[in-house]
Amino acid sequence: MLPDRTAIRNAARDAATQIAGRPIKDGQRLVSSGLIDSLSILRLIALLERKLSVSIPPETLQPEDFDDLDLIAETIERVAKSAG
Amino acid sequence: MQFNSFQYLVFLFVAVVAYWLLSERYRRPFVLVASLAFYATWGIRFVTIPLTLGVLVFLLGRSMAANPNKAKQWMWLGINCLLASLAFFKYREFILANVNTIMTWMSAPHLSFAKSIALPIGISFYTFEAISYLIDIRQGRVKPATLMDLCLFFMFWPNVMSGPIVRARELVPQLHFRLKFEPRFVFEGIDRLVWGLVQKNAVANLLGIWVNKGFSPVGAGMPSTVDGWFLAIAFGLQIYFDFAGYSNMAIGAARLLGVTLPENFRQPYYAATPPDFWSRWHMTLSRWIRDYLFFPINAKWMGAPLPLYASLLGVMTLVGLWHGAGWGYIVWGLMHGAYLVLYRLYESLKAANSVIGQSRIVSGCWRLLTLVAITAAWVPFRSPNLHKASGILSSMFVRFSLGTAYSFTFYGFTLVVLLFCVVEPIVVRKLSEIEENAGANGLSLFRILGRPIAYSCGFLLFMLFDENNTQFIYSQF
Repeated sequence: MLPDRTAIRNAARDAATQIAGRPIKDGQRLVSSGLIDSLSILRLIALLERKLSVSIPPETLQPEDFDDLDLIAETIERVAKSAG
Repeated sequence: MQFNSFQYLVFLFVAVVAYWLLSERYRRPFVLVASLAFYATWGIRFVTIPLTLGVLVFLLGRSMAANPNKAKQWMWLGINCLLASLAFFKYREFILANVNTIMTWMSAPHLSFAKSIALPIGISFYTFEAISYLIDIRQGRVKPATLMDLCLFFMFWPNVMSGPIVRARELVPQLHFRLKFEPRFVFEGIDRLVWGLVQKNAVANLLGIWVNKGFSPVGAGMPSTVDGWFLAIAFGLQIYFDFAGYSNMAIGAARLLGVTLPENFRQPYYAATPPDFWSRWHMTLSRWIRDYLFFPINAKWMGAPLPLYASLLGVMTLVGLWHGAGWGYIVWGLMHGAYLVLYRLYESLKAANSVIGQSRIVSGCWRLLTLVAITAAWVPFRSPNLHKASGILSSMFVRFSLGTAYSFTFYGFTLVVLLFCVVEPIVVRKLSEIEENAGANGLSLFRILGRPIAYSCGFLLFMLFDENNTQFIYSQF
C-alpha cells in the first residue's frame, strides 16, 4: 500500500537532502539546476524504494521525473498505479 | 528562408501582427498554415515528410492508448520507422560511400543511388521530438495528442529548422495559444531576435570567412602552431555564435507569439569540467540524450563502471553521428566520450582522496584542460577530412612553429570575441540589473532610449554584415 502524498513528499525530501548534501526546499530544481546528476538519481531511487517500500523500475523513468519534490511524488504514484 | 534574411523578417512581422489581430479560435490554424508556408520555402515537396511522420505518430499514439498491452510493440514500430526515415535521408550516401570503400578492397563493382535527394530541413530535430513523444506516451508522461496538436508540435516554424528540441508536454499545451497579448512578449521577443541577428551576421559570419579559408580542403599546406590554435578557437567561437544566434532568434520568434521555448546555451566556454560543458552546450540535445538514451542504459546496469564508460563512448559517438554523416563528426563524438570517461575516472579517484577534490589548483587545471580539449575536438568536426584534421591537430600539439599566415584583423577579431565570451556573464547580469531598476521607475532614460538605440545598432550590424543570407551551420544537421 503506497503512503499518501505528504508522506511520499517527506520521504523524497529526506532522500534528496541525503543525496545533495544540503536541505531541499519545496519547488527547488534538483536535476535541471545541476544539484543532482543523472547517475545520482539511481541512488535517489534506491533510497526511495527503501523508505517507501515500493519498487521503482528506473529504466522506464527519466532524470527530469525527479526534478522537484512534487514531480518525485507524482512519478512514484504513477509508477505504483501502472504496477498495480 | 533563413532566419537572418530580410524575407524572414518581413514574414515574421506580418505573421506576428496577424496572429495577435486574430481571435483565439483562428490562431492554431493560422500558425499551422504559416509554419507550412515557412517550411515550403525550403522545398514544397518536403512538407509531406513532417506531415506524414505527424500522421504516423498520431495513429501510433492512439493505438498505444487504446491497447496498452501492445503499446510497447507500437512504440518500437514508430521508433524504427522514424529512425529508418532519418537514415534514408541523412545517412544513405555515407553508408554507401563506406560500403563502396569495402567494395574497392574486394575489387567488386561500386553501388550507387539512381538519384540524389536533399536533406529535408529539420529532420534530425523533429525525429527526436517524435521519438520522445512515443516514449512519453508509453511511460505515461503524456496523453495522446490530437492530429492538429502534433502537426503544430512538429512544424511550429520558430523551432522546426534546428530546434531547440522540445517535448510534447512542454510545447503542446502552449500551442493552444490562449494567452492574451502583453507588451513584454514584444520586448522579450525582439531582444532575443536582434541579439541573435548580431551574433549570426556580425560575429559568426565574419569569423567564418577566415575559418572557411583555414579549413579548406585545398588550403596552402598545414598551419603553424599559432594559426592552428587560432583557427580551432575561431571555429569554436563561430559555431557557438552561429547556433546560439539561431537559438536566440528561434526563442525570440516564439516569444513574440507568447510561447516559451527552452534555452539551448548557458555560456558553454565557462565550463569547469567536460560534463559541465554538456550541461551548457546545446542543452536541449544533451537533455534528450540523457533522458532517452544515457539514463535508461545506465539504469539497467545500476551505474556500474564498465557499462557507464562504454555507454559514455557509445552515446557520444551517436551524438557525433547525429550532427552529420561523416567520420569527422564521429571522431568529435568519440573525443567528447573519452573526455567524459576520463572525468568519471577522476571522480572515482577524488572520492577516494579528499585532498584532490578540494584543491583549487586541480579545479583550475580541469577548467583549462576542458577548454583545450573542447577546442581540439572542434578540429575534426570542422575539417573536410580526417587527414586535414590530423595535420591541424599535430600543428597544435606536436609540430611546433610560430609563423602567421592571416591578416592582423583575424587574430585581433578572434581575441575580441574571446574576450566578449569572458565578460558575457557580467554584461548579462549588469543589463538585467539596469532593467530591474528601470522597472521601478517606468520612464527612466534606459527605458526610453536603451532599447531603441540597442535595436538600431543591432539592425545596423545585421545589415552591414549581411552576406546573402548565409546558412546557419546547424541547419545542415
